[in-house]
Amino acid sequence: MHPPLRTHRRRLLRGLVAAAIAVPLVLGAAACGDDEGGGSSADPNAPVRLSVFYWGSEARAKLTEEALNAYKAKHSNVEFEVTWQANQGYADKLATLAAGGDVPDLFALDDNMLSDFATRNVTADLTEYKGNKIDVSKFPPSLVEYGTVDGKLVGISAGENTQGLVYNKTLLTKNGLPEPTTGQTWEQHIDWAAQVAAKTKVPGTQDPSADYKAFWVWIRQQGKDLYSGKQLGFTADDLAKWFTLWKGARDKKATPTPDVIHEGNVTDISKQLVVTGKAATSWVWANQMPELKKNTKDELGVVAYPGDPSGQWARSSMYWSVARSSDKKDTAIDVINFLVNDQAAVNILGTDRGLPSNMDLRTAFASTVSDANMKLSIQVENDLAPKFGKAPQVPPKGHSTFRSELVKAAENVQFGKATPEKAAADLIAVVQPKLG
Amino acid sequence: MALTTAEQPSVRASRAPGIPAKRRGSRRGRRSEAAAGYVFLSPWLLGLMAVTAVPMLLSLYISFTNYDILSPLSEVEWVGFDNYKRMFTNDPSYWRSVTVTVSFALIAVPLKLAVALGVALLLNRAWRGVGLFRGLFYLPSLIGGSVALAIVWVNMFNREGAFNGFLGLFGIDGKPWVNDPSWALETLMVLAIWQFGAPMVIFLAGLKQVPTELYEAASVDGAGRFRQFRSVTLPMLSPVIFFNLVLETINGFQGFTAAFVLSNGTGGPVDSTLMYTLNLYIKGFTDYEMGYASAMAWVFLLAIGIITAVFFTTGRFWVHYSDGDDR
Repeated sequence: MHPPLRTHRRRLLRGLVAAAIAVPLVLGAAACGDDEGGGSSADPNAPVRLSVFYWGSEARAKLTEEALNAYKAKHSNVEFEVTWQANQGYADKLATLAAGGDVPDLFALDDNMLSDFATRNVTADLTEYKGNKIDVSKFPPSLVEYGTVDGKLVGISAGENTQGLVYNKTLLTKNGLPEPTTGQTWEQHIDWAAQVAAKTKVPGTQDPSADYKAFWVWIRQQGKDLYSGKQLGFTADDLAKWFTLWKGARDKKATPTPDVIHEGNVTDISKQLVVTGKAATSWVWANQMPELKKNTKDELGVVAYPGDPSGQWARSSMYWSVARSSDKKDTAIDVINFLVNDQAAVNILGTDRGLPSNMDLRTAFASTVSDANMKLSIQVENDLAPKFGKAPQVPPKGHSTFRSELVKAAENVQFGKATPEKAAADLIAVVQPKLG
Repeated sequence: MALTTAEQPSVRASRAPGIPAKRRGSRRGRRSEAAAGYVFLSPWLLGLMAVTAVPMLLSLYISFTNYDILSPLSEVEWVGFDNYKRMFTNDPSYWRSVTVTVSFALIAVPLKLAVALGVALLLNRAWRGVGLFRGLFYLPSLIGGSVALAIVWVNMFNREGAFNGFLGLFGIDGKPWVNDPSWALETLMVLAIWQFGAPMVIFLAGLKQVPTELYEAASVDGAGRFRQFRSVTLPMLSPVIFFNLVLETINGFQGFTAAFVLSNGTGGPVDSTLMYTLNLYIKGFTDYEMGYASAMAWVFLLAIGIITAVFFTTGRFWVHYSDGDDR
């Protein structure tokens, strides 16, 4: 061997090892740097570039852009760097950004992610800004609670909505069938759906046994809840009963076949079965009416889920959060405050992310609405509001696992691969250890 | 993937003559030659380190921790072999994905190669317009791993899709192929087999290399078409078959895109399309268990390494290289 070559190689190896050690350190340091505050001492008129990230449809992107432009018109020093994408893959992308220490300054979260991101300190604690920089005093109390995880205010509710049973009015009228009503029992609903199926050849309702929000309402009506602290709030027996309820509905041909149900489970809102004509009813959120209406010529109606409407609650549809690592927190919070507490912004955003959280602005906004479906969404929420039950706790970490496991368990039953009891027991075994 | 597959042999071939049999010139010359070599290598070397070696080592480290991707790396806890233990003893979904992946590879890969070889034999003749057909058959591979193709596939094999429409012409009542757990994986296999263009092109190139004298000699000896295929074509083609087999097996095990698109990222219906890599992705990015996902990735790497090693060992018995003097 020739000495120079050997030193080269040795140096090279040393470099490799150093890189292998240094890179994780640098990543780690970047991720944990800048814990508190930041930016508060800066000149308020200095130019700021704020990165914003959220999910949604193209329509939502347009509205959000418009609202951010309205903010910019008042604060010319702020530039937005907006990225958005479809719901699918949003959480993955955000998690990847977090892993790289590159969380956007301002981003959207939902129940699926809130606890996961908050307990791992990706989100900034906004408690100290409450009352001065961000006003939540006009919010219904439950919506404020909703953004609170482990005593820290980590998300500001971007809107309020509730569960809604959307049905195809045109189809029912044409066949002289009655419309579903708020307060009907689950059995009545299933019988009604079977009657619709018999008369119209369109299954009356989408089997929602894989749908966590339908199960959630049902389990609350049984006097329990989805979660109790960091535990599941129900037993395998309860879940098996739920699966059995829908097994009965399928046997009565009140629902589509399992493969079509599966299609409804995995699809986005624009291809929900009520819109594609594969079922007369879809289980959605009431504020999704306008989006559904865009995809069908038929007239749609919306009522509460079956059973006692007090099983439903005013829910925060999604949240705006600020990155803990952001050095532009003040600006980010100011933008959130604008989006939820400025009449102009509220009017632009409409009911796209649910009804405006600020009650005063909501009332003012509701009086100006002309879109028939938006009107209907607001009306349902207003009609139900007095009947709403107490809002449940924010779902704990692991909620997304519960949701995906529920789909798996329900489909196992639908396709006849497991009994309701077995599927329910399996789900509990997998999900319980993931909560925390 | 298709392109790299096609390029690899030529790269290998051109690199071999670059290595001089004996070093020449003075010591200083050699030294500066080595330095120049490193300089020319450096972009590749830096790339290798930054995007392959360091992340790989990092993931090996992560596989022994409870890293959840959201927390900073500095906060991870060392959990030893817990992730590996859980995989083998306490995770039904893991074994489900192993089963799905192995059955996918076992069925789709041999069928894909058989179809590729069959079509290559057909297209190896000199008839009019053969070039057009070669292009057409290769086309699906060009857009092979793409999301667009998977979406087309999903729509074709829906209950209302074109495929059932076609069956309807013959009075056959179709199935909800992609939404039925007993058929979803099979639909994916058909998609994989349909993309036989890349191995087909390599087979074609291999067939062109078979000397026509051999066929002439064989026919003089009275060998029929089938006998010629068995005794001349197959042995002469065996290195190419081997090459395709190894690459397609690795490809088969790594199948992700189509399963992801078809099931909307869930591996459903009822875990029927839960390919190994898809399961790994779900664990890492949906369940935030990057430590566990990393461990899964390392087991995967090891498994593919073993399978490839088995191929190379057994290949000795059936792969014939015509330039026998080298062996």
